[in-house]
Parts: sequence; structure tokens; C-alpha cells
Amino acid sequence: MSAPSDAAVAAAAPASTTTAAASSGGLTFKLHPLVIVNVSDHHTRVKAQAACSGDSSSPSSSAPGAGQPPRVFGCVIGVQRGRTVEIFNSFELVLDPVSGTLDRAFLDKKQELYKKVFPDFYVLGWYSTGSDVHDTDMLIHKSLMDINESPVYLLLNPTINLSQKDLPVTIYESELHVIDGIPQLIFVRSNYTIETVEAERISVDHVAHLKPSDGGSAATQLAAHLTGIHSAIKMLNSRVRVIHQYLVAMQKGDIPLDNSLLRQVSSLVRRLPAMESQKFQDDFLMEYNDTLLMTYLAMVTKCSSTMNELVEKINTSYERTTSRRGGRGAFM
Amino acid sequence: MEPTSSASIARQTWELENNIPAAASDPDAMDAIYRYDDASQARAQQEKPWANDPHHFRRTKISALALLKMVVHARAGGTIEVMGLMQGKCEGDAIIVMDAFALPVEGTETRVNAQADAYEYMVDYSTINKQAGRLENVVGWYHSHPGYGCWLSGIDVSTQMLNQQFTEPFLAVVIDPTRTVSAGKVEIGAFRTYPKDYKPPDEPVSEYQTIPLNKIEDFGVHCKSYYALDITYFKSSLDSHLLDLLWNKYWVNTLSSSSLLGNRDYVAGQIFDLADKLEQAEGQLAHSRFGGMIMPSQRKKEQEESPLAKVTRDSSKITAEQVHGLMSQVIKDILFNSVHPSSKASTSAPPDSSGPEPMVEA
Repeated sequence: MSAPSDAAVAAAAPASTTTAAASSGGLTFKLHPLVIVNVSDHHTRVKAQAACSGDSSSPSSSAPGAGQPPRVFGCVIGVQRGRTVEIFNSFELVLDPVSGTLDRAFLDKKQELYKKVFPDFYVLGWYSTGSDVHDTDMLIHKSLMDINESPVYLLLNPTINLSQKDLPVTIYESELHVIDGIPQLIFVRSNYTIETVEAERISVDHVAHLKPSDGGSAATQLAAHLTGIHSAIKMLNSRVRVIHQYLVAMQKGDIPLDNSLLRQVSSLVRRLPAMESQKFQDDFLMEYNDTLLMTYLAMVTKCSSTMNELVEKINTSYERTTSRRGGRGAFM
Repeated sequence: MEPTSSASIARQTWELENNIPAAASDPDAMDAIYRYDDASQARAQQEKPWANDPHHFRRTKISALALLKMVVHARAGGTIEVMGLMQGKCEGDAIIVMDAFALPVEGTETRVNAQADAYEYMVDYSTINKQAGRLENVVGWYHSHPGYGCWLSGIDVSTQMLNQQFTEPFLAVVIDPTRTVSAGKVEIGAFRTYPKDYKPPDEPVSEYQTIPLNKIEDFGVHCKSYYALDITYFKSSLDSHLLDLLWNKYWVNTLSSSSLLGNRDYVAGQIFDLADKLEQAEGQLAHSRFGGMIMPSQRKKEQEESPLAKVTRDSSKITAEQVHGLMSQVIKDILFNSVHPSSKASTSAPPDSSGPEPMVEA
């Protein structure tokens, strides 16, 4: 059987009547890479098992139709501080095969288990995979409202599109809108940023580039460290270049003046230098000197060790020569 | 060049350098490892090849998800030891770790208090996971050694021996979250213990370890009771795609992070430890000099690495890490602090121009 075309797949996908294009300005969302990898792993596992067994009747998935991978569902957990929602982790959910709704007993048990290890994490909402929001998604969303009155919905599109430049992850909030005189809950797309703790960033980098576990030699580690910084600077440079090209085009008159954008660019430019205080300079130089001192101490230690080895060798050879002459004793 | 294409070139280079088969680029071949075959696992359990060969398992493959979960959990524990279990399967001489989950257990230093409720938790979690389609069984445990390296302490060795006795195949993974942040690479070790009366062949230590002075005795007594497995990592085709795209949002974190600021206490502790080791080495050197004068013939012909040489290694390692951190800071200082707005008005632009002022280097 041939794979369906993109147009056919798009046509087969249920039309979403519950999505609003407007971006919500209510909450700030911070998403950790662990959540993305977790959802990806869940999808891959279900897809692999479905391909292996020839069916897609996994308890935590639903089959959307031929040619498409089964959808998977789960909970996202984390913390909310004021207007900032930070999504740290996620776990799978089980769908009731009869009603197509969430298995609440499973959810409660899983939540209880997570609370024992991560007592500060709360259920913030749920996740699913797919190219778009489905009509049935609002039912699942509403069923979580007794746990969290305004749950978040994270949607990951598992279709690999190599021309894509942005993460195929969308975060939705639900808002009450009056449509045709009837108040209805609809999904509203929200902006998010990727947030990481240092150890998480290193791990992601580790698996992204599949580094060997020993990290390689000192030179290899230095190269890896500098390559990471170089890549980041390249990304920064490409973005600055876009702004520069935009300003040049505006100056030439190719693009109409946009004072609002110009003010944003101006405020961005005026942020430099980022740190211009004597306190920073003092602290920075202190840090610099501390590192230089450590380097100096390491060099002294290395010289002492080399000197010690040399003395050992001299002593050994001295002992040999003196023993031949009948003498005894050490050089040092 | 686009960041995604440079990332793919980097990956291809890595695949060539590390003899990764071409199949690794094929999504179906990449994702085949995620299939769980109950029959083959049952067959392995019946055959028990590990029972005859104490060195049967030589490799471990850890999924991107499992590594991420373990490191994040270990780091969340701070200076307290945390513990969890790994789920997966075995394939030939490799233990494949697919996933990991944390246990409600905390310890201090090398004493992990595996309370009774942790076992109950493990049973509950494994059972409920199977309901959600996670078919793999528990294949090992992981715990953290914050700041003192990846090795098995006496308690860890006895715990692992017990596990290998009753729940084979079983793997022990140790993560040092403090050194991970300091070194900028994941500090991880995977181990299996030898049977009680087994005499292991003399093997060189796979990688030099910096062990704090107060832990050296515990390390030395048990270091011949276990062996390390080679660790490799794997990810799905979707993981690969997402991690490439993640970089587009993620590069800011690389620039904004600083290992110098985050690990000051650890570095100070390392320097204190180095000072203690230097004093000890000095004492040993004085004794060896004196001993040499009395009975030079009894001096060992083949000495292992001298204490001073070990201290040199330790100091070089910690210094290299600090220099890496300083490099980042210096680069950022040049990028964001050495550019100043010009006080002069631009000559090329008209006087009433509201455009941005030109930037000049200080």
C-alpha cells in the first residue's frame, strides 16, 4: 500500500473548530527539553510497538487512521510561580478504550507516585501528538479541569519535516469566547521559551552530538567546548545580521519605516555594553586572577612532579654507580 | 550556513569517525531498538549466558531520555545522593537502558538508604508503567555521587552484588552531577560486580578518577570487586530531528551559562582536597627518600603512579575546567562589553535621522 500524499493526510485530519489564532498574553511558559524528549520517546515507542505487532491499540494511544502514526497522550507536570508556568516533566496517560476518555484511576495513581519523588510538581495540563488540534481534544482538556482549573495543552507534531526551522511544539491555553451568542471554550496558542538547568543543557548537548562517555582527551574537550560557544555566536550573528539587513533596507527606502520596530532595535542596541560598572570589572578581574593563580599552581605542581621523577632517576643511577665502587647512600 | 545543516554535517562526521553504520541514518533502523520483543527476552532469561561468564556484559546503551532523566534527577538532589531505577532489555553482551525513574530515597555520601517503601514504590511504578505500554523490565539502578566521582562504594558493591544474585541482568550506573556541571560533560559510569569468590584478571583502570582524600580508602578497598562497561548512547529519528531544531531556540542558554559561577563551592573543595593530597604526598616522599638511604635494594622495581603524579593530574584537570569556564566569560566580555555607542553623530546619515547610532569598539 502506498503512503498517502500530504494533501490526503491533511484532508483526513479532522478540521479544528476549537482553535483560535490569537496569541494569549496571560501566562509565560517555560518548557524544559526533558518534556520534548519524553513525548518524542512515548511516540516512538508506541509507533515501534504498533509496527511490530501490526496494530495500534496501545493503551496510551489512539489510531487516527491508516498511514498515520497513532496519537499518544500524557500529562505535563511542573510548577507555577505567579504568571510563570514552568513545565519540567511529563508522564503517559491511558485512554479508556470504550469511552475514549482518560483513565482517571491510572492518572490518580501516577500522580500519587510522582508526588512521592517530586512533591513540588503539580499537574499543569496534558500533551498529545498530531499535526493539529482535534475536536475530541477539548473533552480530554475539560476532564482535567478538576485537577487544574486552567490546564495547558502541549501538542507535538511528530512528522519529520527537514525544511522546518522551528520546533514542532505548540502550547495552548483554553479561553472562554462567545461564538454565535454561545460561550465556548476554545484553544488559544501561547508563546513559550526553552528553559534549562545547566546539567540538563549539558546532557542534551551530550546526546545531540552523541559524545563518547569518557569525553575524550583534554584537547577534544576544549574543542567541544569552543565549538559549542562558536555555534552559539554564529546563531547570534545570523540574527544580528537579519536586523542589520532590515535596517539597511529601511534606510534605502525599500521597506516602509516602522517606528515601533525601530524603537525596539534602538533599545536593544542601547543595552550594550551589557555590564559597565566598576563592581563588575573588579569581580571579573578577581575571577580571572583566581583562574590564573590556579593555572600557576598547577604548573608548579607539575614542575615539582617532573623534578621528583628526575631526582628518582638520578638516585637510582647514583645508587648503581656507588654500589659498584662499594659506596652507599642517596644523592638527595 | 544554516545551523541545522551544520549540525547534520557534524553528526555525519561523528558517524564516520566512530564507525557508526549507515543504518543509523535510516529512521526505521534507528527506531528498531525501541521495539520490545518479549520472546527474545524470555529466551535470554532461560539461557542465562551471564551465569557462566562474570564478564558477559561489556557494553551498555543508554537512551537520550534515560540519560536526561537521570542527570536532571541527580542534579535536583544537589549535594544529597539520590537514587532511581532503569528499565530496559538485554541484547547479546549489551544492556540497553530505555528509560529511568526516580525513587523516593535519599542518602548522604556513600550511604544510600534504600528504604522498604522504595521497593513497594518500584513494584507499583513498574506495574503501572506496563499498563501504559512501557513493557521493559527493571535492568538496573542509578544513583548520584555529588562531587566525588563515578565509582562504587562498599555499600554500593554489596547492593549491586545482591541485585545481581537475584534480579539478573542488573546494572549499576553512577552519575556525578557536580562534576558534570564543572567539566561541561556528563560524568557517568556503568558497572557490574564480580561474584564473591571470583579473582578478576589484572586490568588497567579504564579512565583516571579524581577521588577525594576522605573517600580514597573506600574506593581502594572495593575497586577490584567490579568492572566498568563501555557506555554508548542512542536516540530515535524523531529525537534526532527535535534536538537539531532545539538548538534554534537553545543557543542562548549556551551563551548565558557559566560553570565558574555555578560551582564555586565545589572548586573550593577541590582545591582544599588538592592541598591535603599534596601534604600527604610530601610526607610519603620524605619517607621514601629516607627509606632509599637505608635499603635501596628493597625499593619496588615497578612502582605504580606516584602520589605526586596523581595530584598533578588532579590539579591539571580542575585547572582545565576552570580555564574553559574563564574562556566563556572572556568571550562574552568581548562580545557584550567591549562595544560602546559612539558619542559622535554619524556623518553619513542626515542630522535629523532617527536611525540607530553606529557602534565602535572601545
